[in-house]
Amino acid sequence: MKPGALAYFKPTTVTEAIGLLVDGGMDAKVIAGGQSLVPMLNLRMVAAERLVDVGGIAEMKQWSADDREVWIGACVTHDQIQIGEVADPSNGLMPKVASKIAYQAVRNRGTIGGSLSLADPAADWLTTTAALGATIEWEGPDGKKSCPADEFVFAAYTTQLDISDVLTGVRIPRLPPDATWGTYKLCRKAGEFAHAMAMVISAGARSRAFLGATDGAPIRLMHTETLVADFRNWESGHTALVSQALEADIADSGREFTDIQLWQSRTCLLRSIQMSLGFQPIKPEGV
Amino acid sequence: MQIIKLRVNGEEVETAIDPRTTLADFLRQHVDARSIHLGCEHGVCGGCTIVINGKMARSCIALAATMDGAEIWTLEGLKDDPAIVQLRQSFHECHGLQCGYCTPGMLITARDIIARYGEPDEKFLREALAGNICRCTGYAGIVKAVQHAAAQLARRD
Repeated sequence: MKPGALAYFKPTTVTEAIGLLVDGGMDAKVIAGGQSLVPMLNLRMVAAERLVDVGGIAEMKQWSADDREVWIGACVTHDQIQIGEVADPSNGLMPKVASKIAYQAVRNRGTIGGSLSLADPAADWLTTTAALGATIEWEGPDGKKSCPADEFVFAAYTTQLDISDVLTGVRIPRLPPDATWGTYKLCRKAGEFAHAMAMVISAGARSRAFLGATDGAPIRLMHTETLVADFRNWESGHTALVSQALEADIADSGREFTDIQLWQSRTCLLRSIQMSLGFQPIKPEGV
Repeated sequence: MQIIKLRVNGEEVETAIDPRTTLADFLRQHVDARSIHLGCEHGVCGGCTIVINGKMARSCIALAATMDGAEIWTLEGLKDDPAIVQLRQSFHECHGLQCGYCTPGMLITARDIIARYGEPDEKFLREALAGNICRCTGYAGIVKAVQHAAAQLARRD
């Protein structure tokens, strides 16, 4: 339960970090908060002969905001987002999501950029940045690049990042002040990785809905979005409509869901929609 | 080997380390901070919880090499901290421990919860303590102890 031998570097600029990654090739890894990487190094699930610590790059710890969007540096911690140290573009969604990531001791060190780079399908920021229509920014030997968050992930632990790229920040457009959201994730134990997750954002006549914690990238639910955009209230008849829309969305995605995953995802989605309409999620008896 | 310079419990420490050393091993071996208890060594049990730059963190999933310039407090250095003094008394009175292996992590976590949230209700408290595993008590005594300490400290403010 100890990491294998490794060399450690702490560059102070992104350019220097990329140079160190290029030199290290396949054996180099970026470390930020280390809250996923160090456990994996301890378990020897991951070997890295060279660690490049981006925690010494000042610009990656910063954030900035204007009236259109908020830019969050990759090394901003979940805790900074949770406690509102960083401007919130999301009417409270991001602080809420941050407050439910793992445990406080982990949130204090884990970073938004680290979480996105690793791309564990159950990671909260993958689904959140996709739902918010954010842009992920990174830099590599070929220069600066970016893409919409919902195109960033190809599959579990597989993103657009190349081996020597460094995720530098996330650009998140501000939600309109009257936009509402709902999110729910199923964890058997507080703080563990979710088994299912859903997120719904409604602004005026438009909605965005995503499932997270799947077998790969978050899934956008287009049928559900069209349906939810017309909801002004929660009625019991909506349950069947949402179930139909969700099944159509999953069929469109071409992804495989077991019965249990479908039930869990539907539960999360229903609770998220109810929450976005201003209702406390309805919980089954005995929970 | 790599040289790191940091402050641990108020004392300056400068030493050469192997970069693969976890912060927990470094603190136990170089600074004799044996309140740090290693349970799972992958960040889920909470036994190695300490304070890094004012924020509680898990020392088993931090590398010592990343701590150059950091300010670290372990339970040893917090022995006269008012919240820790009260928590120690409350854990004693409310039967908040049996074997004691999880207790240092519980105390540091409870100190953080009280500092952030004052007197949280039981449901919230149980969730906030969910990252610290105890295999003896069934948590009832721990939850009572933290509530007792929070109430005592709030009365003093």
